[in-house]
Amino acid sequence: MTKKKGKIDKTAMLFIGPAFILFTVFVVVPTISSFYYSLTSWDGVSPKVTFIGLANYKEIFTSARFGNALKNTFILTVFISIFENAFALGLALMVDHVRWGKNVFRSAFYIPVLISGIVSGFIWKIMYNYNFGTFNSLLQGAGLGEYKQDWLGNTALTLLMIGIVMVWKGAGYYMIIYLASLQSVSPELIEAAEIDGASAWQRFKSITIPLISGAFTINLTLSLIKGLKVFDEINVMTDGGPGFTSETLVYLLYKVGFNEGRQGFGTAVGVMLLFIIIILNAVQQKFLKSREVQM
Amino acid sequence: MKRRTMAAFLAAVLTAGALAGCGNDAGKTDTPAYNAAGSGADHAAAAPTEAGDDAGAGADTDADAAGGSIVSAPTELTYIFADGDEGAKAAMNEIVNKFNETYPDITVTIEPGNGGAYSEFIKTKDSVGEFPDVMEMRDTAVYVRAGKLEPLPDDIVALFKTTTAFDGKVYTAPFAGENTNGIIYNKTYFDENGLTEPTTYDEFIELCQTIQDKGDMAPLVVGGQDIWHMGFWFHKAYNDQVLSQDPDFIEHCYDGSKDFSDETFKKTFEEMQQIMQYAQDGWSSTPDAQITTFMVNDMAAMMYSGTHMFSQIAAADPDFEMGWFPVPSPDGKTRLVGGGGVGGLAISAEAAKDPDKKAAAEEFIRFFYAPENYKIYCEKLSAIPVTVDEPELEAMDVFKEVVEATNNADDLAPMWNGRVGNNELPPDFRNFTYKTLIEVLQGTRDIDSACEELNKTWKVGMESFNPLTGVGIE
Repeated sequence: MTKKKGKIDKTAMLFIGPAFILFTVFVVVPTISSFYYSLTSWDGVSPKVTFIGLANYKEIFTSARFGNALKNTFILTVFISIFENAFALGLALMVDHVRWGKNVFRSAFYIPVLISGIVSGFIWKIMYNYNFGTFNSLLQGAGLGEYKQDWLGNTALTLLMIGIVMVWKGAGYYMIIYLASLQSVSPELIEAAEIDGASAWQRFKSITIPLISGAFTINLTLSLIKGLKVFDEINVMTDGGPGFTSETLVYLLYKVGFNEGRQGFGTAVGVMLLFIIIILNAVQQKFLKSREVQM
Repeated sequence: MKRRTMAAFLAAVLTAGALAGCGNDAGKTDTPAYNAAGSGADHAAAAPTEAGDDAGAGADTDADAAGGSIVSAPTELTYIFADGDEGAKAAMNEIVNKFNETYPDITVTIEPGNGGAYSEFIKTKDSVGEFPDVMEMRDTAVYVRAGKLEPLPDDIVALFKTTTAFDGKVYTAPFAGENTNGIIYNKTYFDENGLTEPTTYDEFIELCQTIQDKGDMAPLVVGGQDIWHMGFWFHKAYNDQVLSQDPDFIEHCYDGSKDFSDETFKKTFEEMQQIMQYAQDGWSSTPDAQITTFMVNDMAAMMYSGTHMFSQIAAADPDFEMGWFPVPSPDGKTRLVGGGGVGGLAISAEAAKDPDKKAAAEEFIRFFYAPENYKIYCEKLSAIPVTVDEPELEAMDVFKEVVEATNNADDLAPMWNGRVGNNELPPDFRNFTYKTLIEVLQGTRDIDSACEELNKTWKVGMESFNPLTGVGIE
């Protein structure tokens, strides 16, 4: 049965309506209003909102703090995108190939995903602690005390340490997606290549990788977005410090908006982040989609 | 292709939009459309007031304390304070429990207060429509100007020796005299090694060097992960170098006659660099909550903190023998943090619209400062009482030393960020300064560049807040 063109399908509207209203109220309207607030000097508390034109954007382009946050965001995003996916793919291949205990391994690797960012941040913060933490205690116990590090206090290590926590926490999720994709790869293709004399690496590179490229697209997109909006771990582990060492764009947005009473500037940072995400996402989609193999 | 681009756009909008927009709109929705008594308070008019002469104008609290109802229906109050300090947490819980038992028809519920970053936490609660009914207020001027606080009745104001008024109205009941910082040290270690309390700044540095050379423990433990802890040391150096030369330095930065490239400000960083070379390894990732552990486990000989640490150290190790001394300034004078502050217990203007909540909140404050209850707070935090009717404290010897030092100090003033009027800092300039300081101390930024950054941030901050021009005040 076909509906007449132009006629509203009431049943469809009933299904779409609630989600549409919620999406509009909680996403579309705040997003649009953000553009307005980014042109003001609103402090986030006072009812008075003063229009200041493009002053916030001018500050963004001249502020060393924004540049530092952008650089940190970029480093974390690249680190997370690469290592989270590499680690997740490794885990997925391992789980896919084990002969027994597949479900046990799958569950075990997925457990960190279930822990909240705040909780995992606290756990790792304790482990990283210079004087009482697990890592330095192990080094001390092994007679390697001279290699003890101030894992979160050393400005050269801070971002790396946060990145490791993100990879540990997120890899299990991406593993599931890779695993599902790996299990859809036809065994006949692998067997045929094996009969033709292809090595394990050749089979992986020329058959498995192209056939799971859809999973790469999804996972890289997700990890890109995750890297750009990392917040919980930074909030708990370093509060953006030491100094400004681990301040990312989202954290800068939060700090200036909620801590420094500059919601207008914070919102302008948010708008800039929106455009950065749009551009990066579009480039990434274009690049990855062109490499996907349709079965 | 169009569909793909649209999908990418929507994915981005979902992420960034939710991040950028929600907080702002929530804040807008929850901004009350009323003009509270304090709204538009003349900031420059903020001034300490002596105990009011019209004491006793309030309700008869004795009858209420005996169990009489002061509300027309069961009333619930939410209460938030900076709970990062164990002493504060224990004291507040005890007083609130007592109150709830005394007033069966009023329930005060303590909500977690995220002591580590309390000011932003309160702001976040306000933005999401969860501003507490009663709270510990720190950024009093900001919230008074925004009309978020209810003025306290005269009988409550009269309970205190001094309070801070905005346009003639008092909005906060001060918890205690400003927390006087000084060096708390391991007395046993000092005695065993023949170390004595320094009487000059040079002797203090020499003492640190001696302990460092011995190598038994770190001379100083610093909780640098909590930037407010860094503020203790920063204020000391700033007080020594800047305030000693120009008590109105901030006002002069507002009027443009000075900036943060001033030589005195650079010397503040230099003094900090000199002191911090004696801090323990890993100081920048050590939270304030951990410094007691360093002291009682013989990992550090000294800490620089407030009197609230006395009870924490005693609780961690009752046998720990502690001593206390103020760190003299390089010019030989003793400058200490002290006197009354602008923060304290406050009532939400929104909550005060409900007569029951208003009555209950005011009664809670009266109850809190009753000598037998206030005593709990002062003893747990080694706080200097600020009430006219002082509780009788069973104080430690070190606490008595602090009180004596504050009586004999060459200068007694609030923290640099606790000043009001023309010397009030723009919102969060304090935190920016501390973070920049950490960069300097870690060697990732030199002093000149740090001063430049502060100048830039100051300039931006002044555009939205300047008590001299009234921007951000009215």
